[in-house]
This record gives sequence, C-alpha cells and structure tokens, in this order.
Amino acid sequence: MTAPLLEVRDLSVTLARGGDELPVLDKVSFDIAPGEVLGVVGESGAGKSMAGVAIIDLLVPPLRRSGGTITLGGERLDLLTPRQMRRVRGKRIGFVFQDPMTSLNPVLTIGRQLTDTMRRHLPLSRNEARERAIAWLTRTGLPNPARVFAAAPHELSGGQRQRVVIALALCAEPDLVIADEPTTALDVSVQAHMLQLLRDLHEETGTAMMLITHDLGVIAKMADRVAVFYAGRLIETARTEMLIARPLHPYTAGLMQATPALDAAGVMRVKAIPGSMPGLGATPPGCAFHPRCNRSRDLCRQVTPPLADAGGHAAACHFPLRQEVA
Amino acid sequence: MISYTVGRILQTLLVLLVISFIAFLLVATLGDPLGLLLPPEASLADRQELIARLGLDQPLLARFLHFLGGMMQGDFGLSYRTQEGVGAMIAARLPATIELAFASLLVTLFVGVPLGILCGVRPNAAISRVVMLVSIAGITLPNFVVGVLLIAIFSVQLGWFPSFGRGQTVDLGGWTTGLLTLSGWQAVILPAITLAAFQVTFVIRMLRTQLLEVGQSEHIRFARARGLSERRVWFSYAMRNALLPTITMLALQLGNVIAFSVVTEGVFAWPGLGSLFLQSVQSADIPVIAIYLIFVGAVFMIINLIVELSYPLLDPRLRRGRA
Repeated sequence: MTAPLLEVRDLSVTLARGGDELPVLDKVSFDIAPGEVLGVVGESGAGKSMAGVAIIDLLVPPLRRSGGTITLGGERLDLLTPRQMRRVRGKRIGFVFQDPMTSLNPVLTIGRQLTDTMRRHLPLSRNEARERAIAWLTRTGLPNPARVFAAAPHELSGGQRQRVVIALALCAEPDLVIADEPTTALDVSVQAHMLQLLRDLHEETGTAMMLITHDLGVIAKMADRVAVFYAGRLIETARTEMLIARPLHPYTAGLMQATPALDAAGVMRVKAIPGSMPGLGATPPGCAFHPRCNRSRDLCRQVTPPLADAGGHAAACHFPLRQEVA
Repeated sequence: MISYTVGRILQTLLVLLVISFIAFLLVATLGDPLGLLLPPEASLADRQELIARLGLDQPLLARFLHFLGGMMQGDFGLSYRTQEGVGAMIAARLPATIELAFASLLVTLFVGVPLGILCGVRPNAAISRVVMLVSIAGITLPNFVVGVLLIAIFSVQLGWFPSFGRGQTVDLGGWTTGLLTLSGWQAVILPAITLAAFQVTFVIRMLRTQLLEVGQSEHIRFARARGLSERRVWFSYAMRNALLPTITMLALQLGNVIAFSVVTEGVFAWPGLGSLFLQSVQSADIPVIAIYLIFVGAVFMIINLIVELSYPLLDPRLRRGRA
C-alpha cells in the first residue's frame, strides 16, 4: 500500500461554551491515499463537516482544534504558521463549499474570483490566468465560458454557480479536495450532474477527495472507502463495497435501513433509527450509540469501544453485527 | 442603462422644479417687498411704478415663469436687506462653504475610513474598543457643543487655532480661498473637525458593522479556504461589499451636513452660505432664503444622483437589466 496523502491522527475539536470545552470531534483518525475518494457520512452534528474545516484550519471561535496531528504528504499541517497554512489552502487542499448561492462574492465577477485564486498560487500572467480560468469553466461544463467569466454570480443559476465553486476549488490543482455536502443545496435533478462532474474531474486530475455527505447513495456512487461519524467519533470505516455489503456497527446498519429504497414490490421502505443523536456535551458514557442500540449491554454503557480493525474493516463496537450475541 | 440615467436626470430636474416653485411661493406670499424696498414717504405713483417693475401685478404662474427665466439667465432677484443681487451674494459666500465642506470631507475620509476598517477587521483589539467608546461622543454630542468645546480647548486654553473667521484669504479671480495661507489652514481646522465629527463617527460605525457582517459570510470563508491573503480578503473581497451601503448612507446623510454646516458656520462665524442663511432668516430676507433653499436642494439632488449613477461601478448586480 502506498503512503497515505493525508494522515489524520486523534483529531479533536472543542467548542467553548460558558467556561466548558464541549467535544465536537473526539480523537478521530483516518487516512486518505493519493487519488482516493473517502466518503465521510453521518447525521448533521456528527462532526463530519468540522473534520473537513479543521483540516484546513478554518474553524471559527468558539470552535477550536484541541489536539491531534494532520499530515499532508509528509508535512505536519498542525504545526504550520497561519501564513504557511494560507499557502496550503487552495494550492494543496481545495475546498468545495456547500451552498453555491452564498459562497461566491456577489460584487466580483466570476473571472476575477478565479484569476485571483490562481495567481495567488501559480506564477501566471494576467492573460495566462484568464485563459486558464476560461479553460476551467469549460471543463466544469459551463456553456459559453467566456460570458460566464465576465458574469457576476447573480447572473448564474444554482447549478452553474456550483460548477464555478468546483472550478474555484480545483483551479490551483490541489492534491486533495474536501467537498462539504457539495450537492445538498441543489435541486435533485442537478445533483446527479454535479456528482458526475466531481467524478470526471477526480478521474482527470487524479486528485484525492474527501466527500462529506449525509447521503449514503452519494457514497455508494462516489467513494472508494467510507468513514462513518457518530456524535463526534469515527465509528466504522471500510472499503465502500465491504461496508455496504456487511456493516459491522449497528448504527451503520441502521443508517442504511433509514435510506429510502424501493423493495422488489416497488414499495418505499424507510426504517428510522429510534431516538436521536446526543447533542453537544450530552454524549453518554461508554458507546455514544448505546441508548439507541437494541444490542447494548452493560459493557456498552461503561466502556467506550475502541475502533478495532479486522482485515481493513474497522468498527467501534463491543458487539459488532458479524459476531453472534452471546 | 442609458435610458435609466436619462430617466433619473429628468426626475432630478422635476424635483428641482417643485423645490423652485415652493421657494417662489415663499417670495411671492411672505413679507412685503414694497414696504422693504421703498422709503416710508414714497408716493402712490412710486408704489405703482415699483409694482409694475417687479411684475407683482401679473398672475402667479406668469410670475413663476418669469422667476424661472430670471434664474436661467443668472438673475436671482434682489435681497430685501442689502438690495444687492442674491446671485452675487451667494457667489461671494460659496467658496468659504465649499472649502469647509471639502476640509471636513478630508477629515472624514482620512480619519473615519481607516478607523472604521480597523474596528471592523479587529473588533476585539483594545484600540478598537477605545475608538468605539469615543465615537459614542461623536454621535451623541450636538454639533454646536462639539464646536464650543473645541474652541474652549484649542482656542481659549491652548491658543493654537483662531475661534472665528477664515484667516487670511487670497482672491483667485472671484474665488476667495483660505487654503493658500497658513492662517487660512489654521482657521479651517476647528470648523472642519466640528462639521466632520458626526460624519466620522457615522463612517466608523457603518464600516465596522458592514465589515463585521461581511466577514462572517460564506463567500469570505470560501475566499480564505482558497488561500487568498488576509489583505486581499479584507481590502478587495470584503471592502467592496461593505462600501456600497456605507456610501449610500453617507449620501443620505448629506442633508445633515448641510444642516450642520449652518450651525458650524454660526459657531465659528465662518463667512459662508450657512451664516448668510442665518442672517437672512433673522432679517426675513425672503429672496435670499428662497435661493438658498433652491441651491441646497440642487446640491443635494445632484450629489445623490452622482452616487446612484456610480453604484454599477461598485456592484455588478446593478450593471444589467435596470433600464
């Protein structure tokens, strides 16, 4: 196996509230290999977006990174100065924002935003930057790229804007792209196009991707490997086909059953997980999922299960599904 | 865009016409010009002769058209108080007021804008907190109090600056300027600060609020996530968004500047339009008051027009589809 591009070890994020430091992310570790797509899945508030933002060091107080290491291509990002970190953002890690309606500066043209970003990281003349920007707009499938270059964001539709956001994240040719719910804010009809675009660009450029989503369907289509987050912890990770075929953690299994699907008779089946995820600072002792789990025992209530790796499939559960309950 | 511009100019002209009519009604219906212009012992024939000469026997509309026509040709009527042409009186006072306004604009730009940016970019720095605290004084203290306080400190106690007048002036072909002499500059400093006090605090608070708000927005986070430098993020990405509302609010504040300039000129005996207006009000010199109102209205409208027509330069959202 090749050396990972990104290594995240024991990443913790806390939120300061009234003198307390509430854990948002609790010692999360994962790797992304060069060119790999890691799907990060979980409910809202599970900490998956926080992990992405923490990697590029853009957490806004009262949130802060409270521990752990982040290594990109052998370099410790968590030790860099803010100035050095600005050279990593955009250039080595691109970030696709969720909502295209608010992510673009309303008073600057698309071209200006693209060329500013490229010229920040690459030695390009004004004209070269312009040509490349138009090439990127073409690559992202925008009709009439020269017109889009001169346009202001309000002249484009939501789908077109998201294509621009993707172009902005990729235009300095980063090794890793973090895409935070890149399709959530879009119409369903546009979502499929956007995923296809991300897939195509990923294949063309060979960039690795951290795809953050709550949609297991997106994961199944896009990701090589999956990491499941629950209440600020990573609870299961495996290759996508392994995880979907045989989830080990009861939460992952529940999440899959909660994804709407048509059964053989064409009837929509959705099975919700009872209860809800614990809020900030309300994580129960032991396994965070035990109050909602029908397999929980005393052990689950007392001891937090470690992420136990078994042949590339790791789950943090005392009584994983493959194993018979004694 | 062109038809929009033409439309706005026509609108401006229409409003100016209405202002002129109201000002004309003041002249036509208030006061008794005959009593003011003729000696008490004037005969009935003298009176009839003056009525005919001033056109007071004509119908109201004809007199208004005559009034407008006169203004077009530079005839702004006669002052009841001094019997001089109102146009000449205003022209003589105009340079002082324009120079005062210009000096206070400089103060606003060179003090207000940098401090506003500082308070918006570093809202928690000690110096920002001090600026915000002091700026409450600028918002709450009335203009004339600021002026009197400045006089008490810098003219009476320290003796650095004169407390009235505009110092030595130089006549440049009909434009008397105080900006070419040292005493002229010394004289303009206190009135300029007084007049700018409100504007400065206004700009600081407005820019701060706007920058704080824009600084939280997703597009600024995205600009940071693309590695753009802090300087670029603040000065070109955030400032562009913060500037438009600030300029709009400043233009709307112009009425305050005009009102405050009357007060400031009064406090510092500054020989400009504001003190001319005060003198005219005290002696019920209706023609001067009327022309002053029209003049102020015209300045107000024209500056607002320029500001509005410059929006598309700042905001591409306004560039298309607004014809």
